Amino acid sequence: MQNDQTSAIGPISVTATPKKSRRIFLKGLSTLFGGAAISSILTGNAIAVAMAYVPNSGDILTDGKIFKKAQLILLKQLCSIVIPNTETLGAAEIDTHGFIDNQLLHCHTQAEQEEMFKLLALINDTAKKSFSALFIELSDEQQFQLLTELDLGKKRFNQTQRQSFKTLKKLICIGYYTSEFGATQELRYESLPGGFKGSIPYEKSDPAWATKGLFY
Amino acid sequence: MKQQVYINKTSEIYDAIVIGSGISGGWAAKEFCERGHKTLMIERGRVVEHRKDYFGENTPMWQQEHRGRVENILVDQQYNIQKQCYAFGNTTKHFFGNDRDLPYTTKKGTEFSWIRANQLGGKSLLWHRQTYRLGEYDFNANKLDGHGNDWPIRSKDIEKWYSHVEIHAGISGSKENLPNLPDSEFLPPFEMSAPEKDIQTKFAKLYPERPMIMGRTAHLTQPTELHVSQGRVKCQARNECHAGCSFGAYFSTQSSTLPAAAKTGNLHIAPNSVVHSLIYDEVSNRVKGVRVIDNDDLSEREYFAKVVFVCASTIGSTQILMNSVSKKFPNGIANSSGVLGHYLMDHNYNSVASGDVDGFEDEYYSGRRPSGIMIPNFYYKADPKRGFLRGYALGGGAYREMWNDQQHQDGLGVEYKNKLKKAGKWRFNLFAQGEMLPRFENQMRLHPTLKDKWGIPQIEFDVRFSENEKLMMDDATEQSMKMLKAVGLKNVIGQSKNGPPGLAIHELGTARMGRDPKTSVLNGFNQSHDIPNLFVTDGASFCSSAVQNPSLTFMALTARAVDFAVKELAAKRI
Repeated sequence: MQNDQTSAIGPISVTATPKKSRRIFLKGLSTLFGGAAISSILTGNAIAVAMAYVPNSGDILTDGKIFKKAQLILLKQLCSIVIPNTETLGAAEIDTHGFIDNQLLHCHTQAEQEEMFKLLALINDTAKKSFSALFIELSDEQQFQLLTELDLGKKRFNQTQRQSFKTLKKLICIGYYTSEFGATQELRYESLPGGFKGSIPYEKSDPAWATKGLFY
Repeated sequence: MKQQVYINKTSEIYDAIVIGSGISGGWAAKEFCERGHKTLMIERGRVVEHRKDYFGENTPMWQQEHRGRVENILVDQQYNIQKQCYAFGNTTKHFFGNDRDLPYTTKKGTEFSWIRANQLGGKSLLWHRQTYRLGEYDFNANKLDGHGNDWPIRSKDIEKWYSHVEIHAGISGSKENLPNLPDSEFLPPFEMSAPEKDIQTKFAKLYPERPMIMGRTAHLTQPTELHVSQGRVKCQARNECHAGCSFGAYFSTQSSTLPAAAKTGNLHIAPNSVVHSLIYDEVSNRVKGVRVIDNDDLSEREYFAKVVFVCASTIGSTQILMNSVSKKFPNGIANSSGVLGHYLMDHNYNSVASGDVDGFEDEYYSGRRPSGIMIPNFYYKADPKRGFLRGYALGGGAYREMWNDQQHQDGLGVEYKNKLKKAGKWRFNLFAQGEMLPRFENQMRLHPTLKDKWGIPQIEFDVRFSENEKLMMDDATEQSMKMLKAVGLKNVIGQSKNGPPGLAIHELGTARMGRDPKTSVLNGFNQSHDIPNLFVTDGASFCSSAVQNPSLTFMALTARAVDFAVKELAAKRI
């Protein structure tokens, strides 16, 4: 059905940076429904935005919300090994460790927090036992080797410890890929796809979509 | 909406009171209002205005508090049941009931998850929007195998009402001419992805009796002039529906029925009004109105009307009837049959299967489709050799793995990062939606002592899946895996689970229709056998669960019942 109102929605269905696409979303709605509805949508969202975790520089100057300063420094290093800085920013560069500190406090049980404390202690204890040094003092190769063993639950680590590390990897992934950088620069994100197409071409170098919808 | 729509105290005697504002209540109000009847819609929760109150809408993940997860303390204290719903999250939590204020119990040894949405619009804001007609095989099922009572209606009684509601609501889907699943009035279906089309073709060859179709869903894939005139536009494929949709692209009370009802000038809404019970006049044998407790300050008030439609959700409606006691109806109003509260049903989702799809590496999709594929119930004809009664539909779909599907894989560093950046392998999954037999033992009742904060007796559930449902799910897992392997999927896995009823959020039965007043609460027009001006038109009225998602049938039954009530009012029979 062609008419002024449906065609007004047309320009929305372009890929855009989220800020831009949100602007277009509001502009599109404004055309359709008038300004009053739009200001109320903005107001509503302003609440959510104000409460979202805002990444800081990633520098660790003090204790975190649940982690001590030393634990945060270790966590930051783990972030940078799991998702390193390459031609795109890595997990540590966008304060994924800070996100995890905040997320564990608000959305996880005490038992789950303890599990992460134990995991960090395990990583340092193993480093001390094997190399007589803290994990962050090890060479890049030693760090990567140790975490690879942990990731596979082999040699110095068992399967229970492996599962704890998978849990941490999951937190790192959520922190990284649902961040603004992760979703829009590393991956592809469309605020308003404009409709569903069942088939589009995909090249090997194309980034994946960042989300399936509300419940990623 | 105009402020004067909302009322608090009034002495007006309305033509109709509609209790509830969800899918059924919205339709009842629209139909009464459009026929010139002064209507009062009573909603126990707060007002939710279209667009204005969709707090979580169009918020990207990084702007959501805790990236969409809900604060631990809040979940522990207020949402321990509601959190079990897949749609519960930070952008939707304000549309879920608060478990702290809405306690209920389950009989020892049983479980039931009761998901609530107590606000204007009810669960129409949160529903999954899959929309299917019931067909002749469904209406005949009880009669054929003797479980439950015979539906007092058949397809011919309800067909035109399905069309009536579909044209207004907007249903996307494909015409299929299937014997087991009638077509609707359709907008174009959502597209299938390349692997889905391939699997569809293979299924058609290998399993001609099990056609795979696109899921039918209450989304505007191509709005008609009627929809646009309602302020609704095309679905943008965000798949963030449960947060609310300012485009009005999916059917909800707010997007569709409420504006139509309000436009007539015949609608009043009493929000924050928890219905305690119905006011019954024994002399005239009529319901005169309703007793209401204020949601906030717990004060009492009454509303009056010539006819009362109870559309408060399956459990909510029956709770109101049960709590309306009088000398004539000591066990709940309209309950001379004694079946009120019995034959509670849900659907059974306890079977899943999935596998990897080879190839299609150069294929992807764009947009987030708010629907999937579906294979209608292929056991619609009874067969004693099957070992269980009734059947199931299979839903599912294909997708390419993304970061959250791949994050658990082994690996670290550049290789891991590069893998998660790309679209992974294609996966295809199926899940069953099984029919649950109507059984007298499966019931809800008022707790003898426990009450909620409004002084209304709490519900105690006593509901279990039976052996029939378990056997059916085992079969679903076996068949799904067999079918997936047959079309060449790799690493096929499947599982029959043992989840309790409730979480399909398809509560049905407890005030069933029927021809015989001795064994049913309502007649074929959703009218109480006992009291002519009392109607229940939501899921409570169902005689069997069938396999299909029930909401479309709530709509059609409600519109049909209003048509009947309007004629009865005009004829002064009620």
